[in-house]
Amino acid sequence: MGQIFAIAQTTLGEAIRRRVLLIILLIGLAFLIISPSLNQLTPRGQTEVLVKMTLGILKITSAILAVTLTVYLIPNEVERRTIYTILSKPVQRYQFLVGKFLGSVGALAVMIGLMTLVLLVTFSLQQRDASMDDVARIVKSAVMYVFQMSLLAGIAMLFSTIVTPIVNFFMTGMVFVFGTLMNPIFESLGASSGGGLAGLGSRVAHYALPNFTNVDITGGATQAEQAVGGSEAVYMMNGIIYAIIYTSIMLVLAVLIFDRREI
Amino acid sequence: MGVAIKTEDLTKTYRTRSGKVNVVDHLNLEVEEGEIFGFLGPNGAGKTTTIKMLLGISYPSEGTAWVLGKEIGDTDVHRRLSYLPEKPYYYEHMTGLEILRFYARLFNIKEPERTKKAEALLEKVNLAGDADKIIAQYSRGMQQRIGLAQSLLNDPVLLFLDEPTAGLDPIAHIEIRDLILKMRDEGKTVFISSHELSDVERICDRVTILNYGKVVSEGRLDTLLKGGRIEITAVNVPKGIEDNLRSDGVIASFHDGRLIIDAPDTIATDGFVDAVRSAGGTIVSIIPRRKRLEDLFIESVGGRRVLTEQTEQSEESV
Ligand SMILES: Nc1ncnc2c1ncn2[C@@H]1O[C@H](COP(=O)(O)OP(=O)(O)O)[C@@H](O)[C@H]1O
Ligand SMILES: [Mg+2]
Repeated sequence: MGQIFAIAQTTLGEAIRRRVLLIILLIGLAFLIISPSLNQLTPRGQTEVLVKMTLGILKITSAILAVTLTVYLIPNEVERRTIYTILSKPVQRYQFLVGKFLGSVGALAVMIGLMTLVLLVTFSLQQRDASMDDVARIVKSAVMYVFQMSLLAGIAMLFSTIVTPIVNFFMTGMVFVFGTLMNPIFESLGASSGGGLAGLGSRVAHYALPNFTNVDITGGATQAEQAVGGSEAVYMMNGIIYAIIYTSIMLVLAVLIFDRREI
Repeated sequence: MGVAIKTEDLTKTYRTRSGKVNVVDHLNLEVEEGEIFGFLGPNGAGKTTTIKMLLGISYPSEGTAWVLGKEIGDTDVHRRLSYLPEKPYYYEHMTGLEILRFYARLFNIKEPERTKKAEALLEKVNLAGDADKIIAQYSRGMQQRIGLAQSLLNDPVLLFLDEPTAGLDPIAHIEIRDLILKMRDEGKTVFISSHELSDVERICDRVTILNYGKVVSEGRLDTLLKGGRIEITAVNVPKGIEDNLRSDGVIASFHDGRLIIDAPDTIATDGFVDAVRSAGGTIVSIIPRRKRLEDLFIESVGGRRVLTEQTEQSEESV
């Protein structure tokens, strides 16, 4: 356990200093800061729209950060041969992988936290009529993003044991887009078309593909709440559990492959 | 004395464009406890691959090995050994002290011992004054010394040093050599791989020379390197004299009007000097050449000396 934590901490320290990530973070922050002021041109009562838009920016920036951070995580270690020194210590490969993963999740949490903070500050300065509800929505969404992006990072981590970083970037990006846009469609198709081949295919696609909207309360929360039939807290809890289980499966698969792989 | 490392037909096969290649080919080695073992060979001979297999970082395609009495694959044995990879990098954002504390945590060394140990090792490798500089500001030599320090954190009984002096200046060579000698005095077994024969490799008790994954020569280095050559250059020598000078292993030829004699150092130099002078020639230089690792490689793989080929070519053109 000590080893995993040491590796995680070092990974976090390195990640928050990586120039590419800082640039992405700065661009994201710039968007977050200017978008509320654009909204001053629109009439009152548009806060809801604005919240959705800024959360969208936060989400996309976080996703780009998550993918950029994780696709190079293992390849960089091999290229710089830092991994050899670590694995020649009493450290198992799974400990290395899990440590790297937890470190990146920590870095993502720090960056998402920072963006959320900036978002809240600009909101309070520029949107005097923003309610406590809006603030709560932003904070809750950000918490969900940390889990959603951890899931995305877990997927990138699994792919990084098989493919090169560039290919990984596109594969993980595709999974994110498909998992966000298509999975809800597969889900309803699978449920509605019963036992047919199409229904079976949809159900398979639905379970194999990660459903990122499960771990999201930005847009469809109310609608999803009705589906679950519970409160928002229950919905969030389900989403977090879903993310943790799915991420764990990704990591287990990554370890199984990584354990056998040449490095 | 026990055996620190033993390999049994250790083999690593890689698939390349030109088919399967055994980069390590049925290697059988034995390294005794307490010795400095030189694992020599040209680039691509399979040295790093062998070390990685011994450390469980890479998996053998065939055969097996034992390190400190345990068959490879057991990471528990890593508590008692250490590894300095070839041209290593360290996390550049960390200071020398932080790096050592990080590696100490991988051994589960707890505070305050962790910091105490890290500081003592920085002292040992002469980096105490640079402990708070980040690695990015370290020179190659300093990074290599940090590497040696991290390899001593667990007080290992066995050290793997992969090309520890590659790319370092002569002073850094000497510093590293002295550190290795200290390790020998402490009774550690040191496994050094190298593709050159610097003074670091010359401190080895025993060496094995690897080429294309196979052992081509092994024994004590001083024995293997016995028999250098001598090069005598003379001017104003009449043509034709070189035919009289040739004998076993002696190469004599003209280059730009200069007579160059290349002979084994066991042959009496005086005889050549006398012959040249009595023919009216003037000796320009007598240069003893120690046998180099390349000479050994060439001998071991049955190649011909480059000089021989040059001589024959120039003779044809005369
Ligand atoms: N992952 C790999 N895939 C294919 N070939 C490899 C791989 N790693 C090393 N090699 C080849 O194996 C040979 C031995 O490499 P190496 O052990 O690094 O040699 P050395 O350390 O003696 O210079 C080289 O020809 C190298 O190109
Ligand atoms: Mg090598």
